Amino acid sequence: MAITAVARDTVFALRRQIAKIEGTLPERLEAPAATPVDPRATTLTLVRRGLAVAPDDAFLRTGIERLDAALGGGLPKAALSEIHGTETRDAGAVAGLALSLAGLVLRQGRPLPVLWIGTCDIFHEAGFPYAGGLRGVFGIEPELMLFSETPRLQDALWIAEEAARMTAFAAVVLELRGNPKGLDLTATRRLHARAQDAGRPVLLLRQAGEAEPTAAPVRLIASAAPAASRETIAGPLAGSIGRPAFTVTIGKSRTALPGQFTLEWNPDEHAFAERSPPQGRAENPVAVVPASGRRADSAAAAGSVLAFPSTGSPSAGDQPSRQQRPAHIGPRRAG
Amino acid sequence: MISHRDSNAQRISALDERAEGLGLKRGMGIADARAMHPAIDVVEADPEADRRLLEGLADWCDRYTPLVAIDGEDGLFLDVTGCTHLFGGERAMLDDMLGRFFHQGFDVRAGMAATPGAAWAAARFCGDRIVDGGDEETLLAPLPLAALRIAPEIRASLESVGLRTAGAVMAAPRAPLARRFGTTLLLRLDQALGRLDEAVSPRLPVAPLSVERHLAEPIVLSDDIERLVSLLAVTLKADLERRGEGARALALLLFRVDGAVSRVSVGTSRPLRDPTLIRRLFHERLTALEQDIDAGFGFDLVRLSVLSVAAFDMRQADLAGEINDDEADIAMFADRVRARLGEGAVLRPIAVESHLPERAVAIVPFAETPRRRAPPRKPERETPRMTIYPPERPIRLFRSPEPIEVPATEIPEGPPMNFRWRRALYRVARAEGPERIAAEWWRRLPGEEEAPIRDYYRIEDSEGRRYWLYRQGFYGASQAAPRWFLHGVFA
Repeated sequence: MAITAVARDTVFALRRQIAKIEGTLPERLEAPAATPVDPRATTLTLVRRGLAVAPDDAFLRTGIERLDAALGGGLPKAALSEIHGTETRDAGAVAGLALSLAGLVLRQGRPLPVLWIGTCDIFHEAGFPYAGGLRGVFGIEPELMLFSETPRLQDALWIAEEAARMTAFAAVVLELRGNPKGLDLTATRRLHARAQDAGRPVLLLRQAGEAEPTAAPVRLIASAAPAASRETIAGPLAGSIGRPAFTVTIGKSRTALPGQFTLEWNPDEHAFAERSPPQGRAENPVAVVPASGRRADSAAAAGSVLAFPSTGSPSAGDQPSRQQRPAHIGPRRAG
Repeated sequence: MISHRDSNAQRISALDERAEGLGLKRGMGIADARAMHPAIDVVEADPEADRRLLEGLADWCDRYTPLVAIDGEDGLFLDVTGCTHLFGGERAMLDDMLGRFFHQGFDVRAGMAATPGAAWAAARFCGDRIVDGGDEETLLAPLPLAALRIAPEIRASLESVGLRTAGAVMAAPRAPLARRFGTTLLLRLDQALGRLDEAVSPRLPVAPLSVERHLAEPIVLSDDIERLVSLLAVTLKADLERRGEGARALALLLFRVDGAVSRVSVGTSRPLRDPTLIRRLFHERLTALEQDIDAGFGFDLVRLSVLSVAAFDMRQADLAGEINDDEADIAMFADRVRARLGEGAVLRPIAVESHLPERAVAIVPFAETPRRRAPPRKPERETPRMTIYPPERPIRLFRSPEPIEVPATEIPEGPPMNFRWRRALYRVARAEGPERIAAEWWRRLPGEEEAPIRDYYRIEDSEGRRYWLYRQGFYGASQAAPRWFLHGVFA
């Protein structure tokens, strides 16, 4: 069938408008992976060509493919994003993640100031952001930081709303503590709408807060991860504390399944790197391989076996039976 | 009747007409007065409240002239030079002023003259009189010596030699007067007669530019006030353009019908002349002050003053006619936030040449041009590539270092094995350090004790959180054990 270019453009524009009204990320409109993409099928090419333009600019790529893929292209740039810390003592990790994201934004664009808004109680409880530590690690010059401190939450929200609609800031960071009453779905929606209009990221840091309904498309939960040792010519320096590392869990995302990532910030290149996952898996307390049935003096499995109770005699040949082997662990680990 | 305590006795400091009719006088003892008339009502004097009232009246008098000075406990000087024609002449202005004061419930005596001394004498001893320039002598001649504003002792000694009126003093030869009674007498006399200039120091600095509007119908709503502000700002813009300047500080004076004056001022971080921006600033300020400003029966005079000005540099627009100025946006944003929430609402860090972490970054209120504290670098010399990296600094620093309990360290001067902070126990997994930071001896005052040396450690606890701790002092150096503090948090 023949569709003129004009009609195509109209369809694109309409689709995009619908996506904007619904607040959906453009990826959702992409053809399902199961459908074979036929270049001659006009409707499908339409969708792909129409949306191939937007994502490149609309997302802040973290540089880690797994995380970017899970978030559907990266962290949305023109949106409100929430970063949670479960406890106040995680404030360092949460602030570090926010600053590294701000550092990424600054690296890609012009050197515009970053505004950090907070209430007095969080600055008192978790410490005031220290501009002296930002240049070396995150590459943010102290002149580019602006701080705003208010005793009341309403004032902090007002400043954030005013700042979110401006294009003169590279990013706006709003830091709050706990689950204040004033920060409800409406407040986040207002922030999100302003961020969408201005095209600038707004990071909402919530220390020691429970997950609440939010208008932000992405919610990340950050906590500290043990740092790797410092690298020297002679190999890792034992007992030293290397680059900052964070454990990031995707708490909410319209495109991604929940997942956990361990990120390491490279202060020299100002980029993220992912820590190899096996480190975390080694600590699985559940015995994966059942005790040998042949030998008499079989060692007791460490910890209590909860998830996979023993079902009768093990199958022949030391290999665990299908039911005993957890589905998510590959056979390589068992053997 | 109002009493006050003077040299260990309660005396009458002020009294009303009925009390005067009873034969009581100022300065009389309360005990005597009570003995004469037991039914009198005595109130303790409150000089503070009197002062506040006088300042309120001085504020109100701003509507006639910006040069208002407070004279003693019960007087006001108004320098109306060049202002009288705005009110239809001297007589009309004085009548208007006295009429308004009367309706506010004040009994006011006013005098107008070419010199402050003559005006003072006219107000206090003649009442409601306008003295033309050159007539000061005829005014002063019949008045008693008190009209010359001289100390009571000089007055008493003048009276003792028979000089009882100002005219008599004026007729006497000057040299013996100066020798016997001091130069103050002649100075006052010359000032009153206009031979010497007398400066009246106004309460408030005079604004370089002011625009005002008298309203036939008082306004109450803050929307109306804002609309009026933008109208006044349009007028102001023309003046500012003519002078090539922009406003750095603006004040809005709202004169209420019943005499109260509200003063709303805003500061800007860069010179400003655009009426819409001025209106937006006042919008924020008025919103913040909504509770404090009581419109009452409305404001009948609104004045917009420019308190300070700075040179305004024009920017050229690009071909599309747009000025895309991020800095201006941020300056405006900061001004609005500060107008609403106070000076400290927008802060910026400034690097200071210091190795003490808490001094190395100063947090100052936002201003357009940050002051350069570091000396400018020499441009001709190429700085060598830095090979020694500065030690890592935390990303959050506590305002005051938080004390922690450290039960044990592995080696006496080493990092702790565990510590207790905010009642929670942290196990130290890894530690880096120490980094020794000594106090700045060159800042120490002569008699001051030397601040203890700090040894900083980077610590990672068992859960991967990284902290910055320090030990203050040494083990074994004195009886007291060294104290440990948590100063910051790393990413």
